[in-house]
Amino acid sequence: MILKSKSIVNSANNIARPSAGHEWRAAPRVNLARVTAALAVTVALVLCWRAAEIRPTALFEPGTAAALWAFIRGLFPPDLSLEFLRVVGSAIIRTAALAITGTTLAIAIGLPLGVMSTPTLWQRGVLLAGEPLGAARLSIAWLSRGCRALLGLLRAIPDLMWGLFFVVAVGLGPLAGALALGVSYGGMLGRVYADVFEDVDSRALEALHATGATRLQVFLRAIWPQAKPSIVAYTLYLLECCARSAAVLGFIGAGGIGYEINLSMRLFEYGQVLTLIMALVGLVAATDFFSRYLRRRLHANAPAGSLAHEHFEDEGGLRRRADGRTRATLGIFIVMIAASFYLTGFISQTRTGLLSRIIHFVGQSFPPELDGGFLRQLGLPLVQTIGISVMGTLIGIAIGAVLALPATSSLIFAGEDEAGNRSPVSRGARALVYYFARLALNLLRSIPELVWVLMCILAVGLGPFAGTLAIGLHSGGVLGKLYAETLEEVPARPLEALRASGARPLQILLWGIWPQARPTLISYTVLRWEMNLRVSTILGLVGGGGLGQAIYNNVQLGFYSRTTTIVAIVYALVITMDWLGDRLRSRRTAI
Amino acid sequence: MIYSLENITKSYQSRNGAERALDGLTFNVQPVERVALLGPSGAGKTTLFRLLNATLRPTSGMLQFDGNDVSAMSSRDLRQMRRRIGTIYQQHQLVPSLSALDNTLCGKLGSWSLLETVRNVALPKKSDAKRAMAALESVGLADKHRARADELSGGQQQRLTIARVLMQDPDVILADEPFASLDPALTETIATLLLGLAQNGKRTLVATLHDVDLALRYFPRIIALRNARIVFDKLTSEVSREDLTSLYAGDSDLAPLVDSEIKEHSEFSKQHRAP
Repeated sequence: MILKSKSIVNSANNIARPSAGHEWRAAPRVNLARVTAALAVTVALVLCWRAAEIRPTALFEPGTAAALWAFIRGLFPPDLSLEFLRVVGSAIIRTAALAITGTTLAIAIGLPLGVMSTPTLWQRGVLLAGEPLGAARLSIAWLSRGCRALLGLLRAIPDLMWGLFFVVAVGLGPLAGALALGVSYGGMLGRVYADVFEDVDSRALEALHATGATRLQVFLRAIWPQAKPSIVAYTLYLLECCARSAAVLGFIGAGGIGYEINLSMRLFEYGQVLTLIMALVGLVAATDFFSRYLRRRLHANAPAGSLAHEHFEDEGGLRRRADGRTRATLGIFIVMIAASFYLTGFISQTRTGLLSRIIHFVGQSFPPELDGGFLRQLGLPLVQTIGISVMGTLIGIAIGAVLALPATSSLIFAGEDEAGNRSPVSRGARALVYYFARLALNLLRSIPELVWVLMCILAVGLGPFAGTLAIGLHSGGVLGKLYAETLEEVPARPLEALRASGARPLQILLWGIWPQARPTLISYTVLRWEMNLRVSTILGLVGGGGLGQAIYNNVQLGFYSRTTTIVAIVYALVITMDWLGDRLRSRRTAI
Repeated sequence: MIYSLENITKSYQSRNGAERALDGLTFNVQPVERVALLGPSGAGKTTLFRLLNATLRPTSGMLQFDGNDVSAMSSRDLRQMRRRIGTIYQQHQLVPSLSALDNTLCGKLGSWSLLETVRNVALPKKSDAKRAMAALESVGLADKHRARADELSGGQQQRLTIARVLMQDPDVILADEPFASLDPALTETIATLLLGLAQNGKRTLVATLHDVDLALRYFPRIIALRNARIVFDKLTSEVSREDLTSLYAGDSDLAPLVDSEIKEHSEFSKQHRAP
């Protein structure tokens, strides 16, 4: 034993086996593939820069500063007169009603289509394994695929564009907005529902199917109970999205806050604009709070299997009380929905031939215009749209990165218990920087792109540059928050090791935090780019350039068949982008 | 003296008021000494470690590193001090998405300028890369230098942390349970590496261990902690069986280990005592 130990200690260096061929060599930095890729990206970026009509100098012209200053001075004081507050109040109520009606319609559209497009039920899997391949089964499988494609179409076309069509079909007003929300969010909801139904544990289905249960029974007894928590959670999340969207839909005449903001901007009543923006931010925050509260409540009444449930089983009284409150909540829900439908004019208008008007509009939109000259005209707006999305996302990345670092609490307030002295002044300064960055991110994020467009138009004039800036500012806020959260959640142990070996904060950031956070950061960014492409197709509605402008013009002129062509292009664009985004994400995370 | 601790206390705030993780510790460590910290889990070993590498601040008491009071150091001084201390953590604490080579290079971070840091992200300096390869070579991981840290096995990860410390070239090595979760054969290899590193490089080594056998075998001095206090601080040759049984009294899972060949080991440690 002694001998062995001794020899081990003395032979410590002998463990270094001579190795052949493990010489470290710098990876070749320059090769043909890389040069080509770099060139292609550069050319693409230059094209995007040109297409988006980026003019950095426009930001520094004396007139710009003056216009911005006049705008900012105009914002203060916000208009808080009783008369105007009454306008704001009714706008808030209308927007909220629009959001609730939209969500209800989205459920009504999304649920049946979602059930129909669930592959386990109609296309493949355990339920269909034993059945004969008859014509009936094949046709229903194709119907199911058709429903899925329809959901894709509803989702791909931005809500504002749907809004524009419904304004034409059923006239100005909240009804058009509600239908637009219902259709576009119905597409989103249906797809999510189908995915949730598809992901349930299939063993339960198999067991039930084996006992001879019908498809409806399998759905109600095996799929729905498993899927319910996710379905409810996602639907409530959708309510938040709808509230944001409802405000924006006002811009194209659906009424509510967006309409008032647009109006006040055009009347140069900036004090009113500030009041309205505050109201909008408040409304969105209230919806967030409401839906989070509901989700927590529902979580407390979670279905079998969850800890909360067992807890309530033990204390029957508590559970009964929870049930009673749920029933009360449900009652309030129904009243709110009914009131919303009444306020959006759904009930009065449905009687006056709503459906026939929509059918009439659809009839006018087909067949799509495929004239060569017209198609050539669309080339520039198409490139413009892509350019706006790319440059806007890049601006967003820059703003987000700059603001995310000071907004990351783990970087700013590192190691309160750590050795070493830090003066109270330094602590105070750090806290100040942190809260300023957080505030800036919240402000950028809570103002919708379309409102940013209006403000940017003041600074740099109508056109794609204003749209690019608007996308950049809004996504800067969104990305900055996501970046900061990602950086905060990086596992801390490896960082401790780096700090313990004497690394500086910047070195820890580059060698410890960045390598761990990179895949998530890239994935969020690509996802944002996909969303920005959608947004850049509608910026034109308020003067931000791109395909939206072409759609708006053709709708105004009544050339509905041309509009159909443009919508088809938007659809193709969005589908391509989704595909590209998927590829980028899966490749990047693999690295 | 490389370390001098005087009446060191560390308490954490908890729901039941302040809880003492360390209570009035006083001891010195000489350069090139090899010290094992023994004690049941929860005795405060890991907390002591964080104090020793200055990532944690003592609640009271005086901690001196190489004659300098740690509590009086600026952030810059602290970084300079940490550069001289190589820590091997129990859970390896490697950056999972970086390659073995990059993880090894991390050992050098403390001595790079900011410019070098940025540059080395893109492409490591040749001299640094060569040193890192040599470090990987001596732990037998040269052929894995491109592999991501999270693709390595537990034993390989442990060896990689040793390569990182080799790269850092510190005066003091702190190893927190370096042999935990290793099988006997691997334990032998890692122990060999670690002791070779300390002895051949004339470095101080402080290691926490839960395995009494290993402590007796490889370390000339043992400091035993229990309930946040020092129970004994003796040369291994003077450690008696009673010392060890009382240290682990009530910890049934570790008691059998105490009955190992104490006599034999104390002879061994006499031959290997630090100068």
